[in-house]
Amino acid sequence: MAYYVNRNIKMTWWERSYIPEILKGLLLTSRRFFYNLFGFLPFFLGTEKDRRIFTVYYPEEQVQYPIAYRGRPVLAQNEDGMPACVACGLCEIACPAYCIHIEPAEDSGKQNQYERWPEVFNIDYAICIFCGNCEEACPEEAIFMSDDCEISMLDRKKMLYTKEQLLVPVADLQKRIEFTRNMYAKWNY
Amino acid sequence: MWVDLIITLVKIFFILGVTVAFFAPILTWVERKQSALMQDRIGANRADILGFTALGLFHIIADALKMFTKEDFIPDGANKVLHTIAPIIALVPALLTFAVVPFGGQYTLFGKEVNLVISDLDVGLLFVFAIASLATYGYVIAGWSSNNNWSLLGSMRTASQMISYEVTMGLTIIGVLMVFGTMKLTEIGAIQEDFLRWGIFLQPLGFFMFFTASIAENKRIPFDAPEAESELVAGYFTEYSGIKFGMFFMAEFIEMVTIGAIMTILFFGAWHIPFLTTATLLSWFDFLGTTGSNLVVMLIHVGVFFAKVVLFIWIQMIVRWTLPRFRYDQIMNLGWKILLPLSLANILVTGLVILALN
Repeated sequence: MAYYVNRNIKMTWWERSYIPEILKGLLLTSRRFFYNLFGFLPFFLGTEKDRRIFTVYYPEEQVQYPIAYRGRPVLAQNEDGMPACVACGLCEIACPAYCIHIEPAEDSGKQNQYERWPEVFNIDYAICIFCGNCEEACPEEAIFMSDDCEISMLDRKKMLYTKEQLLVPVADLQKRIEFTRNMYAKWNY
Repeated sequence: MWVDLIITLVKIFFILGVTVAFFAPILTWVERKQSALMQDRIGANRADILGFTALGLFHIIADALKMFTKEDFIPDGANKVLHTIAPIIALVPALLTFAVVPFGGQYTLFGKEVNLVISDLDVGLLFVFAIASLATYGYVIAGWSSNNNWSLLGSMRTASQMISYEVTMGLTIIGVLMVFGTMKLTEIGAIQEDFLRWGIFLQPLGFFMFFTASIAENKRIPFDAPEAESELVAGYFTEYSGIKFGMFFMAEFIEMVTIGAIMTILFFGAWHIPFLTTATLLSWFDFLGTTGSNLVVMLIHVGVFFAKVVLFIWIQMIVRWTLPRFRYDQIMNLGWKILLPLSLANILVTGLVILALN
């Protein structure tokens, strides 16, 4: 069914003068102006600003991303400095973009000794698509998506992160670990 | 004689300093920031000196550097001479107008009468209009000499729009002249010492019509058909780059200041504070001696004057960022069918009232 727009609206003399509507528009924009002008003051003074002023003064002002946010994947580092990863290679297989490269190393596996760990663990963020499949595939709670998304750089080669760059203490990842446990428990892995 | 010369030079430098060196650059920043705040944006703030951004104020310097270092491009088939002088013709009248605009009253400094106006012409108001109309030549020549269809269309629209609205402006001014009985801008300013004799109360309709017409003269949005980005690329300055483009831009901003100043003088009490006569102010600062009190009052008056100018500039800015562009025929309709009869009626009513009061 065709939809017709009635373009022959009879306007009163008052409406046709456009003055009240113009004044309304001016009022709206100047209200926004003052609202934003004073709304940003708390930020410059270093305090929390009104939540309703949703514009973020970006590089200086950062927002807390929700815990479900998928930033760059990082490796969990145990308290003793070793990665939690056992170099099983599941993330490497799960990765749809083939950006993970793992070379395992192993030892005798006696008490208080690590049996397997990654000798080389590279993630090329120039290729990574931030899907989170590696995190989902990991059986050891070793790889997690962080909230860091500021990884753009001028040299593509520098985007290949090595193990040392990827390691993050496990204490910093507690919230995300909790979240993934809740999340993936639904499918009963 | 030397003293007079020095005083005049100081006034000229003050006006040039305020308009060219202060208002024109600051207004580019204000326009960016104000529009940003109105639209929930942040606005330009990335230009920094040693990591210090100063809310984007350094963008002024970046802009100036960019304009001075860019290639000065003259298109093939353009008339080189006219293409070069067009921006000058557009910019100079905007500055010249300030020659007759008083930014303060008369003060006795060191036993000498100082009149805060560069040249106190008897036909000051006429001079303003004569010079302001000259700017049209700059725009028309700019469009014609560029050898570009869009530019030519833009300059033709400029010409027609200027002609249409200059009529309204002139006729509105007649009402003001009838009320104040003088063309001398300093006298018009002095008369408005009495708050109830401000132009906006004597000529309320004239105030709005003059404001509308002067925005149209300045070719800013609601009336920016001559440079309509979505229709004509950039109108008459499509083919300009570098500092020539910057001169058109500066002309626009200086014209904004001019409009603010003329509006202030004609309708908004010039340099006077409501209900505070110059004599009262002088008596407050009597303990400073004649020169001291005059100096203080002069500074107050100049400050008040420019505060009012800033208010009018601010109104022009919010209008520019609130309203959409009028269609070309709507502009002509507004100019010839609404504002022109209204200004004629304004003259009639003003005349009748003056006749009745006498």
